[in-house]
Amino acid sequence: MRRKVIFVLCSLCAVLGFFTVLSVNKVLHSEWEFPETVKSEKERFRIVVISQELDTPFWKLVDEGASKQAAKEGVSLELWGSYSKNQEDFLKQVEIALHSKVDGIIVQGLDTEEFQQLTRIKAASYGIPIITVANDVPVEKSLRKTYVGSDHHSAGKMLMEKLVSDMGEQGEVVLLGGTDLEYSQRLRLKGMEDSLENYPDIISFYVESGSSDEEAAAATQKALNEHPDVDAFFVLNVRQAGTVMQEISRRTELEPYYIYSFDDGSDASELLTEGKLDGIIEQSPEQMGEMSVTLMMQWLRNEVVPLDSEGYITDIRIVEGKGGLP
Amino acid sequence: MNTIQKKIWMLAGVVIVMMFAIWLMLTFYNQKMQDQYNDILQRYLQMHEVSDASQQTVTNLNDYLTEPTERTANRLERSQERLLDAQASMLELRNAENEFTLTNYSNMIESFNETVDRSVAFSEQAENETALTEFTEANRISIYISEMTLSIFNSELKTYERFYRDIIRQSEDLDTMGVLLLSLTSILLLLFTYLFSLSITKPVHQLTKAANELAKGRFDQPIRVDSNDEISFLAKTFDHMRININKLILEIQQKAQVESELQESKLLLQQSQMRHLQSQINPHFLFNTLNTLSKKAYLDGAEETSDLLVSVAGLLRYNLKRLDHTVTVQEEAYVLKQYMEIQKARFSDRLNFHIELDESALLYQMPSLTLQPLIENAVIHGIEPKEDGGLIWFRIKDVEGNVFIEIEDNGQGMDEAKKKALLEGGINPKEGHSTAIGFANVVKRLQMFYGREDVVTIESTPGRGTKIILKLPKVMEVENYV
Repeated sequence: MRRKVIFVLCSLCAVLGFFTVLSVNKVLHSEWEFPETVKSEKERFRIVVISQELDTPFWKLVDEGASKQAAKEGVSLELWGSYSKNQEDFLKQVEIALHSKVDGIIVQGLDTEEFQQLTRIKAASYGIPIITVANDVPVEKSLRKTYVGSDHHSAGKMLMEKLVSDMGEQGEVVLLGGTDLEYSQRLRLKGMEDSLENYPDIISFYVESGSSDEEAAAATQKALNEHPDVDAFFVLNVRQAGTVMQEISRRTELEPYYIYSFDDGSDASELLTEGKLDGIIEQSPEQMGEMSVTLMMQWLRNEVVPLDSEGYITDIRIVEGKGGLP
Repeated sequence: MNTIQKKIWMLAGVVIVMMFAIWLMLTFYNQKMQDQYNDILQRYLQMHEVSDASQQTVTNLNDYLTEPTERTANRLERSQERLLDAQASMLELRNAENEFTLTNYSNMIESFNETVDRSVAFSEQAENETALTEFTEANRISIYISEMTLSIFNSELKTYERFYRDIIRQSEDLDTMGVLLLSLTSILLLLFTYLFSLSITKPVHQLTKAANELAKGRFDQPIRVDSNDEISFLAKTFDHMRININKLILEIQQKAQVESELQESKLLLQQSQMRHLQSQINPHFLFNTLNTLSKKAYLDGAEETSDLLVSVAGLLRYNLKRLDHTVTVQEEAYVLKQYMEIQKARFSDRLNFHIELDESALLYQMPSLTLQPLIENAVIHGIEPKEDGGLIWFRIKDVEGNVFIEIEDNGQGMDEAKKKALLEGGINPKEGHSTAIGFANVVKRLQMFYGREDVVTIESTPGRGTKIILKLPKVMEVENYV
């Protein structure tokens, strides 16, 4: 009896002791991991990348390239911006960045008065360098330090050459473009038109496709009605490419048409793999990010002064659709 | 020595130490938690302070612009100072994750202040239009600041989410620990108390058992108590008492035994005295009777019978009186003659008794009744078996310092083995008489009396007779030797 009682008590003690020690250890030794406080006197350069289209894979790639380069350079970099081309939000972000006195702003150019106002006056008054990326705003309007991105004029030309090589030097071409063409889109259009001058047998029509999907659909119908013999479509805004092709396929076979676009992200690559798009101009977003940060740092460190205001051109190439040609 | 008091002290000490340790731990932990909570709260309060201060600055700036007086100017300045203080404290909150945002935040406050300053400056220069524009700008920045505060709150929450969850989990852990500690302490106390009570009750129990044994009268079992406190002392004393009692009892028992033995021997003594008295009475009665018979025989004319009875009575008297005395050889010889006369009456012609006495040897002392048994032997072995009678010679000679006494018969004699056995007294008395015993008795007495072994010699030839020779040293006066 006595032994049993002692044994039971001892084993209870042992078990409880074991768990208690575990628990005490857990309580006393669980150091909370505070994020490390930064007390460094020398402040790192802070660079902000601001875009209107954070939702596109294109800008994700830009961010990737920029972040990689920033890590290499040892600067802090953040990607700000708005979604789906929300201009108001975008401008506000730019303004906040200016007021926050960041060391450099890499921004997707927006060819509006407000944007130019900000970059020209505010940025200048705070002395913050601005580099446009992917979409340019003319230097005389924005006082940007430089531009990093594709040469859209030659992109337009290249795509037209592609059409000519696919279709031949004869045919009807519809150019679909939005209401307010961006500076880059205008350059593309210009490039295409310049290229068409060499081919007098190719007739081109410009159809305004608005900004929403409904307007794009209507514009496509209108183009098909007015120009029943059309052979090729150029969709300046890749966001509308899907809608345009949907409309075409609703009326007739999609295959006989040549359809081209410019890659700014979104669902272009998907359409390509499905073989609906015949060709697309692909840009190098990663290269853009990387290069813009490099240039910004060169500027901030006074290594290259002044930067080439004509801009630094990144690679472009034509990617063909998988479905083959008609 | 481990006393019970000490044990109680120890138990209490263990309890107190345990409780103190737990209290200390909990206090320590609580303090830690409190500090953490304070830090967290401080962070949020500081951030809120910034946004609050900036809004107040905007209000004050508005007041100032509408009514530029000393008072409003002071108020504006105060709120600006407050904002700068808040900004300075914000810098302490920087960490790896929010460094970028906080730097922006701080710069934004700076921009805000600059804008406010510009607005005030323009207002002082009475450029109200521009001052108002700057005010609008300041207001917008203030809104941005508020928004950024919120977003910082957000990112703070995100950064510290795991930390907050840790806190919650930890307080749960603390609960578990509390329960575990409580139960562990209780069980430990139970164990200690049990062991403690056992260490007191067990020896008491053993002692009780020992006391019971004693009560039953078993004093031979040692009292063993396995403890080292007062009880063990008590047990030792108790054991000592047991040993003493045991000793006393043994002593009493021995005494009783001795007493009973004494009683027994007393009884025996009384019995033997009684027998002695009785045995004295019988011979005297016989002796008297014999004398009476002798007188009667004489009166009746039977003189021979009367003489015989006188001889018998004399012999009897001699027997009774002289057993433990020495006598002279002469007396011994006289008794012998009387005995032989009785025997003659029995055997008449068959017994031829020849006696030769050397007068010079008769004066010496010798034990009484030594010769009679020898001559009786001679009669029994030399005369009785022979129908035509036999011869018995009895001689006393004085030869150089010794008295030689010879008793010779011409009976059947005996062989060497019998002779030896007879001398050593180891013969079986089966031949009708107790003569062998008598002989051995005589030999022993003589040896003892003279202190020599070679007192008796036997010469015997089977069929021709036996001769017993006593060689006695000359002794004149001897006290009672028995």
